[in-house]
Amino acid sequence: MPRYLCLQRSFGAGTEAAEKPSPAQMQAMYAKFNEWREKFQNNLVDLGGRLGAGRVALPEPRPDGPFVEVKELIGGYMIVSASSLDEAVRVAGECPGLMRPGSGVEVIEIHTPG
Amino acid sequence: MTDLADHFFRHEYGRLVAMLSRRIGMHYLEAVEDAVQFALAAAVETWPRVSVPDNPSAWLFRVAHNRVAGELRRSARRVELATLHGAEAEPDQPDQPHTFLAGDVRDDLLRMLFACCDDAIPAPSQLVVALKVLCGFDVREISERLFLSEANVYKRLGRARSRLREVEFELADLTSTELASRLPAVQSILYVLFTEGYLSSHADGAIRRELCDEAMRLSLELAEHPIGAVPETFALLALMHLHAARMPARQDGSGGLILLEEQDRALWDSREIQIGLEWLARSAEGETFSRYHAEAGIAAEHCLAPAFAETRWERIVECYALLEQLAPSGLHGLNRAVALAEWKGPRAGLALLDGLAPPSWLEGSYLWAAVLADLHRRAGNVGLAEQYRAIALAAAPSSAIRAALERRLRGP
Repeated sequence: MPRYLCLQRSFGAGTEAAEKPSPAQMQAMYAKFNEWREKFQNNLVDLGGRLGAGRVALPEPRPDGPFVEVKELIGGYMIVSASSLDEAVRVAGECPGLMRPGSGVEVIEIHTPG
Repeated sequence: MTDLADHFFRHEYGRLVAMLSRRIGMHYLEAVEDAVQFALAAAVETWPRVSVPDNPSAWLFRVAHNRVAGELRRSARRVELATLHGAEAEPDQPDQPHTFLAGDVRDDLLRMLFACCDDAIPAPSQLVVALKVLCGFDVREISERLFLSEANVYKRLGRARSRLREVEFELADLTSTELASRLPAVQSILYVLFTEGYLSSHADGAIRRELCDEAMRLSLELAEHPIGAVPETFALLALMHLHAARMPARQDGSGGLILLEEQDRALWDSREIQIGLEWLARSAEGETFSRYHAEAGIAAEHCLAPAFAETRWERIVECYALLEQLAPSGLHGLNRAVALAEWKGPRAGLALLDGLAPPSWLEGSYLWAAVLADLHRRAGNVGLAEQYRAIALAAAPSSAIRAALERRLRGP
């Protein structure tokens, strides 16, 4: 089955100071995430994780270029397998951690030779 | 393994805040609370992707500890912390099982409970801060449960926190005099917490029950610690469980009240009754007889009666009389009159009420008028019954109570 790279994208506006969830809400989030993971266990190849600090390696030294830092745009990644892009979007789109105000997910097919 | 116990996060919050603020200092309570919040969020993030660690509590402790140590190191308080806390935490320290002995955690929790009941903190703030730091409810959840505005909850928390920051003591260092004055305050806050849930008119039964469960959980911690293992605590636990036993029958699906005599006794929770009676037996060891003993005795009589008509009203009258002596309140007199009327007839109840001098808050309340309306109706005084019925209905504080009164005080 084809594999898809899922990138969590934040849309800056509208996320301002989201309230901290309470412990009870966190437990509910935890339970929902687990439900989702069980439901799609056959699709989830790599649950990935949140992205931290990074650096760009270049073939030749250059002054700080106009590179937008990747982590400003992308919060995290994961890899799913699915029969189609539509199915991959459905899997990622039901993930409780990804779909919330100010956050969405970009799903990209990973081409592999053969 | 991904399943966690019910309320695991909330209870871990309470445990971790208590453990860390003891080790790092109450002065850093807010930094500790933030770090615990961070650790729980890290768990939500990590555990489902990898697996729940073998010792989730130890994992959370390590993450929260490293976080707060790091935060404090970064801040200007570095020197103070180093003196207060000694060795700094290594980022990848192995689990330290010795930190998680149940006895230690209980000690930390109780120390925080005693701190919350410091007499320099006003009673309403004590309850709010206990719900925050010991039960892990956030401001919105507290405001919803206590029917307070969020601004009011913030204000009470602020007051309590400014005092808590100054509190540094060890339970073992409390003198017996200090203990004797503080323990009743601790029992009282647990009683209030339970009552908040039990008498709540919250439409959501789970929310009412949750406060009662928290009160029972903390009371059990108190009862199992040498400092709190006294007959009063046992009686407090007895009355909580005996009341909790009747909760499933006490409210209908939409939050409406079901009166004792209307309740389906088959819905009473026999397991809770059993636990309550066991605590009641333990509370009888020794000479002490507290208001909690009297209240537990009353609750036990109700739980043991096979039917409303078969209640041993004479025992209940006796318990209310004791309760009046131990905790004088016109309300207990009113309750005694109700029990007496069941035992010896409505006129006996009315005669008792005649001899009482109720405080004005009670005389003007729906309870007082409702009892008079009921007793007069049963005694055949139709005019007086009608008069008090109208007063009671007008003074009813909620629609659930008004509906119950209308059913109970229906014509002859």
